[in-house]
Amino acid sequence: MSEPAILAEGLHKRYGDTVAVDDISLRVERGETWGILGTNGAGKTTTVELIAGLRAPDSGSVRVLGLDPRRDRAALRQVLGVQLQHAYLHGALTVEELLGLYRSFYPDPRSTDELLELVELTKQRRTRFEKLSGGQQQRLSIALALAGRPQVVILDELTTGLDPRARRRMWAAVESLREETVILVSHAMEEVERLCDRVALIDGGRVIASGTPADLVAQSGAADLDEAFVVLTGKELEIEEESA
Amino acid sequence: MTTATAAAHRPGLHSWLTMIRCEAKMVVRDTAGLVVPIGLPLLILVMNASAAGDEEITAGRTALDLYILPLVFTIVTATIGIINMPSFLAYYRRSGILRRLAVTPASPAMVLVAQVVVSLVQAILGIGLAFAVAVLAFGAHPPVDVGSAVGIVVVSIAAMYALGMVVAALAPTPNSAVAIGLVGFFGLGALGGLFGGRDSLPDPLATLGEWLPFGASVEALSNAWAGQPVEAVHLLSLAVSAVLGAVIAAMFFRWD
Repeated sequence: MSEPAILAEGLHKRYGDTVAVDDISLRVERGETWGILGTNGAGKTTTVELIAGLRAPDSGSVRVLGLDPRRDRAALRQVLGVQLQHAYLHGALTVEELLGLYRSFYPDPRSTDELLELVELTKQRRTRFEKLSGGQQQRLSIALALAGRPQVVILDELTTGLDPRARRRMWAAVESLREETVILVSHAMEEVERLCDRVALIDGGRVIASGTPADLVAQSGAADLDEAFVVLTGKELEIEEESA
Repeated sequence: MTTATAAAHRPGLHSWLTMIRCEAKMVVRDTAGLVVPIGLPLLILVMNASAAGDEEITAGRTALDLYILPLVFTIVTATIGIINMPSFLAYYRRSGILRRLAVTPASPAMVLVAQVVVSLVQAILGIGLAFAVAVLAFGAHPPVDVGSAVGIVVVSIAAMYALGMVVAALAPTPNSAVAIGLVGFFGLGALGGLFGGRDSLPDPLATLGEWLPFGASVEALSNAWAGQPVEAVHLLSLAVSAVLGAVIAAMFFRWD
């Protein structure tokens, strides 16, 4: 009876000769926060792009709240909030102007003040996007993802390149999302452990393990999630360098 | 079963206006981008106006009225349409702004239309300023057939924008959009009288230039200024460019 928030089955996507996503299936229940964890090039971002309908899978299927991300594009856009990795915003517009623009796309948006408070940018409301620090830009981009009261939120590399303080603020913002289903793409163990109900460990375009963080640790016989990752993938989780 | 509440609601008028206001702020805050469409035509006007202003050709209209002003007006529409607009759109795509908008209910059409509206205002300002300077400083005259002249400016703007949209849709990077835009502008311009009359070109090139939108716009405006009937070939050239460009741009415009 209860339809999952996200149901992906046998997703496959290749670019030329490179297989980005080989075979990924996921079932995310409503209200859950899921971590997608993997090294660079594991297929995390492509998976998220398939879920968001930015790309079409070569085979397999995705449903988000029962909607096909490609066919029901317009309907999905109303209920999905996405923060993309490496997405820039209109540099010369202020925080307030950008919030106003994105809010205008939705029938019943969160108020500007609520959004500013949620990501702690109230003081920067009249600052241009290009003058914000990296952390502030990230936070604004989360606020924009939440502007339309989405039921499903996708956050791609939420805290990459942020200092510890900014990171904690972002975490607090994500923790405040209780009703929403959240997909959190990450390579930061601490973040996943703290925020996620369940984790899918992706390597070589496949889900190699999934479950609660505690399950994964137990399953691998490791001491913590960090070690579990190494045991399960045979790889160290390197710190990703922010590249332009 | 609770399928998403979503009856596909589309962003309404308020959203369109917000988008247009944001585009306008972006353009105004990018001061350097205003220099070419406003400054270059004025420069060409000032350099040529004093000699041409005294030389009467027909119907009380001087060379300034019949040759320089049609050229200057066309430069305004072409620089904004072919150079400025596509470089803005290519920058938006490159920086991920369009990709970011693609995961919202905003459609590509909103960004395109907002950019068109804002550059239309720029074109009107550029033409208005050039005409004011021509009249006040160099004694230029209004077109004999004002209605035709206005109509041709409108069609010319549509044609140039459509070409610009094609550049924006097809150029892989912002730099290539600027490069393609500049080459397109100077190419069409060279064949259309930007560097001196088309009479000095070899016949086939002169004819080609007259069929292409830059030359067609100059010729048609010149006819309207003299009060002569506008030739079908010029209107056809502008109309075909506008329609074909819009169709190609709509087919190929990408978010990323």
